[in-house]
Amino acid sequence: MKLREIINKIFLIEIFKGLFLTLRMLFSKPVTIQYPFQRRKIYPGFRGRHALVRDPFTGDGKCIGCMRCTTVCPSRCIYIKREKTENKMIVTDYVIDASRCIFCAYCVEACPVCALVLTEDFEYSDYMRKNLIFNKEQLLKNWDEFASKWPHDVYFNKFWQPPGIDPSRWPKTKREQKPIPIKRFIEIKKEESDESSR
Amino acid sequence: MKTLYIILVATLKTLIYFGILMLHVAYATYAERKVIGHIQLRLGPMVVGPHGLLQPIADVVKLIFKEDIIPIKVDKAIFRIAPLISLSAALSTFAVIPVNKNWVIADINVGLLYVIGIAGIGTYGIIFSGWSSNSKYAFLGSLRSAAQMISYEVALGLSLVGVILMAESFNLTEIVNKQGEYWYGMFLFPQIIGYFVFVVAMLAETNRLPFDLPEAETELVAGYFVEYSGIRFSLFYLAEYLAMFCMSALATICFWGGWTIPPVLIKALPVLGFVPGIVWFLLKVYFHIFLFLWLRGTLPRYRYDQLMAIGWKVLIPLALFNIVITSIFKYYL
Repeated sequence: MKLREIINKIFLIEIFKGLFLTLRMLFSKPVTIQYPFQRRKIYPGFRGRHALVRDPFTGDGKCIGCMRCTTVCPSRCIYIKREKTENKMIVTDYVIDASRCIFCAYCVEACPVCALVLTEDFEYSDYMRKNLIFNKEQLLKNWDEFASKWPHDVYFNKFWQPPGIDPSRWPKTKREQKPIPIKRFIEIKKEESDESSR
Repeated sequence: MKTLYIILVATLKTLIYFGILMLHVAYATYAERKVIGHIQLRLGPMVVGPHGLLQPIADVVKLIFKEDIIPIKVDKAIFRIAPLISLSAALSTFAVIPVNKNWVIADINVGLLYVIGIAGIGTYGIIFSGWSSNSKYAFLGSLRSAAQMISYEVALGLSLVGVILMAESFNLTEIVNKQGEYWYGMFLFPQIIGYFVFVVAMLAETNRLPFDLPEAETELVAGYFVEYSGIRFSLFYLAEYLAMFCMSALATICFWGGWTIPPVLIKALPVLGFVPGIVWFLLKVYFHIFLFLWLRGTLPRYRYDQLMAIGWKVLIPLALFNIVITSIFKYYL
């Protein structure tokens, strides 16, 4: 053992081991994804830019103003303005401060009508902080932008449903939630946008 | 008329040599970023040109057009001179380095001494820059560098004594020719201890990892050239890479047989004899440059006292031992 240590010290065995390791790494495949040109595959459950689902039948948001999302939000970044008419609650404004949001998606889980989603869109950085405070109009527009890029006809995210809770205890509307049919309001051609980024 | 002709030819040679050298330095930075990137499973520069091949040119353009900041409290004259000293010292070493048979600007008889001496002058650039910058980081960096370079120059010089003993000459061309007389064609094999000492001392001498204490990024930001920017900064950068090439060339000439390859190999494969010598020379230099990058990608930085201990307690005794052994063999065989 003693002799071996001396040999290790004289012939720098450890250093040569390290050198061979780095040499092996030199010829292995790099893990880099060259971002603007290549994109990482987005996995289901990705929590990106907030959006209010535009109801394909009424053309408006589906929010009923139940205030569950504001209640559950840990960072208190959701503000709802609502007016009560005789038989209906009207949501006049719905504001999410995305610069304060921690993307826990509790609001999405709590929403009984699946009006709110966290889309898979993550490229919404801005120079102005105030542009990250989304109002209702902007949130609906976010959905339009996301929907127009969505390649399938319907959109359903299983993370809308609260995990770990028995479905029988969910709200009825939540339990019977169907995939949202996609209606593209903005036409964005995928090929074109790809070419411009190259 | 004859003097004029000689001056003209020397100038022309120097210009060509200079241009090729600058190209090599530019692409050495590219190679460094690529090699270290791939060691760390990254890609390195990829955007400018195919596989980032035009990156060095973009870097040069960027550095030239950057603002040249001179802080108020610096000693202006010395501050301006320091990078020039570093660069000119690094460049003048190449005057005596032969790249092929008779391809040398000045074939002087004390070539090896000249290279070591001039390389030592480069330390002045570092000390001046650290002193004149009036900054604690730069000052500490330059102090460390001075101590490091002085102690490692001893080991570097002593490691080459074995080569000098075997070649019986200080002339670099002569050293290469002498190596061709042996059947193995390289002093690397009889002088393996000397080569080891040389490589370690060479890393310390050029302030490269694992001995880059003068510019230890984590402690001293950038060491002696913290206060420099723009073109002056790039002069220091240039000097560092030129010193790398100089040391690689020296290792190639003194230990790897320069532009020759072992006569055994030529005997075994006569085709190799027709390859121009410059190819072998460049391949050997590139290997040493790669060694610099490879070691940088592998080893962590030594502590300052460890650095000094390796220099004085390991390398110098080893080099002396090597001299004794070589002398004994030389005397009796």
